[in-house]
Amino acid sequence: MSNVLEELNQKVIEGKLEIVQELTRQAIAEGHDPEEIINQGLIMGMNVVGVRFKAGDMYVPEVLMCARAMSGGMEIVKPLLMGKEIVSAGKVLIGTVKGDLHDIGKNLVAMLLESVGFNVINLGTDITTEQFIQAIKEHKPDVLGLSALLTTTMLGMKDIIDQLVEEGMRDEIKVIIGGAPISQEFSDEIGADGFAPDGASATELCQKLLA
Amino acid sequence: MNQGGVEGGSYKPFTTSQIEMLHKASMKVFEEVGMEVHSQRALEIFFAAGAEVDFSTKRVRASEEWIMNLVKKAPSQVTLCGREEKNDLVLGGKRVYLGTGGTALNVLDIDTGIRRRTTLSDVRQTAKLVDALDNVHFFVLPVYPSELSKETVDINRFYAGISNTSKHVMGGVYSIEGVRKVIRMAEEIAGGKEALRKRPFISMITNIMSPLKMDGTYTDLMLEVIEAGIPLATPPAPIAGATSPVTLAGTLVQLNVEALSGLVLAQIVNPGTPVLYSVVPTTADMRTMGFLFGAVENGIMNAVCAQLAQYYDLPIYATAGVTESKLPDVQSGYEKMSTSMLAALAGANYIHDAVGLIESGLSVAYEQYVIDDEINGMVLRAVRGIEINEETLSLEVIKRVGPGGNYIADEQTYQYMRSEFFMPKVADRSPVTIWETNGAMDGREKARRIAKDILANHSPTPINQAIVELLKARNPELVTD
Ligand code: B1M
Repeated sequence: MSNVLEELNQKVIEGKLEIVQELTRQAIAEGHDPEEIINQGLIMGMNVVGVRFKAGDMYVPEVLMCARAMSGGMEIVKPLLMGKEIVSAGKVLIGTVKGDLHDIGKNLVAMLLESVGFNVINLGTDITTEQFIQAIKEHKPDVLGLSALLTTTMLGMKDIIDQLVEEGMRDEIKVIIGGAPISQEFSDEIGADGFAPDGASATELCQKLLA
Repeated sequence: MNQGGVEGGSYKPFTTSQIEMLHKASMKVFEEVGMEVHSQRALEIFFAAGAEVDFSTKRVRASEEWIMNLVKKAPSQVTLCGREEKNDLVLGGKRVYLGTGGTALNVLDIDTGIRRRTTLSDVRQTAKLVDALDNVHFFVLPVYPSELSKETVDINRFYAGISNTSKHVMGGVYSIEGVRKVIRMAEEIAGGKEALRKRPFISMITNIMSPLKMDGTYTDLMLEVIEAGIPLATPPAPIAGATSPVTLAGTLVQLNVEALSGLVLAQIVNPGTPVLYSVVPTTADMRTMGFLFGAVENGIMNAVCAQLAQYYDLPIYATAGVTESKLPDVQSGYEKMSTSMLAALAGANYIHDAVGLIESGLSVAYEQYVIDDEINGMVLRAVRGIEINEETLSLEVIKRVGPGGNYIADEQTYQYMRSEFFMPKVADRSPVTIWETNGAMDGREKARRIAKDILANHSPTPINQAIVELLKARNPELVTD
């Protein structure tokens, strides 16, 4: 691999936004293919970050800095792709269900999904069934991610899945759920496609479901 | 013996001038950033009282002078009563009490040890346990009964608590109608509206959302409790690095703003209403951002909050004695002890969550209640410190016994042997051979046996049967056993 791409890798891992952008411009100037810059410079760096995060060597704030650096580079290369879509890992629509205001875990899941290349639409908290359905029609995501932290709100997840069935939309979308009171049994009970106990497993679950 | 109310205050992480730095920084946040208030009613109340309100962005800003004028209206002392007077808690100053917290979803079953969903029966049983434990001074409703709906949960949770302990019962609430029903029920038990206000044996918790936000639904619940004049805690739970600055000092600045907001709203609406300066300062594991209740940093922050409350002359609702451990074990022991000890030594008044909770507040365990009772006993003993005076300096006794003698049968030893030392019930202090003869039990097993014994044999002072009948007639949804 060329020097500049290797350095790009390194700087993504270090989470250095400005340097990554500078190196991306340099790589373009040196005539590297845009896709090569993305895959071998930017994404490869991020893959290393993922491994280190899982091992507990990298902390969440660091991972987010790295993701930010990577997207900073992406923005510069993107226009050069000449209409070719960057391969997104998939589109995820995520939100916390009606009556529930807990958003830290859900936001973390969203950020970690973005960091591994998913396109994430984050609806926020206290989202009604109708709002979810409306947003699915509008954005056509591959995965619907539901979060609930309260026993009083977790049943709202079932309502949403039931509504998807009712509207004949259930087969077009994968539904994953999570939050402190959620378990695999609950997921099976309400007919979700999967449950993730934390952010790292949520990204793995999405990758698995879309593979 | 109810040892609550011992004076703390010996641990002071900050000097007075450092506390003033925190105060000044918080006042700047009030002035320059403000709180985002999602209740139209609350916005109007803040506006009418003279705060600077931007209705379009829902932002409420205020000057130091305005805030402090309202803080001065809040009572410096709040008495949370028990159904029986011997259980009253006089909160304020540096007096320390410890009790349970909630709202957990699971319990380690006392017979099988298996983690299962909690039910109304667990509310009753934990209340009964707490009623019998000397170093647990109040009962915050600890679990959510999974079989009940949001509509019937408030009155049933409170009734299950009140009918199984005569200690003070505090709890989170889930609907306005629920709040009203609980208050009406408590009035019947107290013997009328006035009687309950005079001796409030229940109180409620409504949350503020970090960072710097008052939610619509919860603020309306808060207003309902404030207007009813029932004692109230309005805790925000910032997580350093997630919903507040990663620096502990920065988290304290923001937390102070949030804690004062609830208190100030209460004093505008109902001046003098009993409200606690309420805090749940927390942290996250930076490796995963997992929420942490048992980190030592939480303990230090609670101690500083106690100093802040003392600076404002307000009674404090603080948080300690929780653990990330999934079971009563070594980790639960050291995490609980460290945070409870720090908060108590600082003189925090109403230390909740300090009994029974494991798994970052998601579960409880019966034997943990018994173990935590013992931890609290040790904590309170440390808070009490060492009594020093002519008599305890013991010069006469030292002369009397002299070199080479012993003090075992001395008059003074006999006089002080029960009061000078904390006597544990769970800890095993016997020689190994005796320990083996007794079944070679570890602390968890011993605590489990004590818990079972209490549940089988203790009878809390009941509510008058005629009142129970009346409550049943008025509230068809009430489950009485
Ligand atoms: C789509 O796919 C996926 C996949 C994975 C997913 C996923 C979605 N969503 C989550 N995951 C998973 O991945 C995430 C990242 O690793 C993880 O997300 P988590 O959210 O679990 O983890 C986060 C990174 C950190 N964790 C958290 O942020 C939650 C921590 C605890 C302490 C908590 C907090 C912080 C708060 N709370 Co609340 N709160 C508690 C929580 C106790 C606990 N130990 O969990 C819990 C959930 N709260 C509780 C309660 C009762 C309440 N809270 C309330 C309010 C609040 C605060 C506002 C103070 C604050 C939230 C701030 C915010 N902006 O979110 C109230 C409700 C408000 C509402 N309507 O939602 C209130 C009702 C309190 C009251 N009585 O007023 C309890 C629930 C009990 C129950 N019966 O349901 C509770 C267990 C605490 C307790 N023991 O009392 C995984 O679960």
